[in-house]
Amino acid sequence: MPLAHLHSAGYNSRVPPVSQAIRVTVLFFGRLKELTGHVEDSIESAEATTIEQLFALYAARYPELAKYRSSVVASRNQEFAAWDTPLHSGDEVAFLPPVSGG
Amino acid sequence: MATLSHDDIYKLVREPIDMAALARHVRAPEDGAIVAFDGFVRNQSHDRPTLYLDYEAYETMALAKMREIGAQLHEKYHIHRVAMVHRLGRLEIGETSVFIAVSAPHRAAAFDACRFAIDTLKRTVPIWKKEYFEDGAVWADGELPPAPAATPRAKPAS
Repeated sequence: MPLAHLHSAGYNSRVPPVSQAIRVTVLFFGRLKELTGHVEDSIESAEATTIEQLFALYAARYPELAKYRSSVVASRNQEFAAWDTPLHSGDEVAFLPPVSGG
Repeated sequence: MATLSHDDIYKLVREPIDMAALARHVRAPEDGAIVAFDGFVRNQSHDRPTLYLDYEAYETMALAKMREIGAQLHEKYHIHRVAMVHRLGRLEIGETSVFIAVSAPHRAAAFDACRFAIDTLKRTVPIWKKEYFEDGAVWADGELPPAPAATPRAKPAS
């Protein structure tokens, strides 16, 4: 998929990119990192237009992941984000298990 | 994000935390109290002897969230300075994993702010610990940070 188009087209449009592939960085932490074998992944997809769909994409690849859906929160660009948050090219999405600092 | 003009310290470190230096940093002549929280590695978890802990963080977001907590402290309480440091990597029993010191003219605000800071850190800052035992390791039970339930549907017409 030619990336050059993505950066020029639709960037400042208010319509979410529906049919166009977007590239996002995806981060996994804690047990999710062990489960997927990824700390950081880069994915280009036309289907994953929300965080929920992005998670589903990985859950299809790593079926174990689906079990954790209810105990995961997501962030987009380092802010906690709702599952229906739309994604844009260049976003950094992280899937975070329950936090246990301190 | 709120600008921090308070000479506070927010840090993630991989070496032992120098608590005395942090307490000195927040101490000033116009203050009358410092309240500090020293969280350290317990030798057992649910009655199983712990060998050591390993902490990891989503570092950029964790620091941003720690600074947000600091901004909240200054909004909510009559305090002077904050030092908030969390250590990452492998920690042995008894080693300090998190240290928070708050200075204030009067003790009540310092107590309240320090309590709010550690409680909020444990709930919202993306840091994880893995507990190592004789017979294996587990990710510690944690708290799910509050996240927005859904993005706002109706946007006001512009």
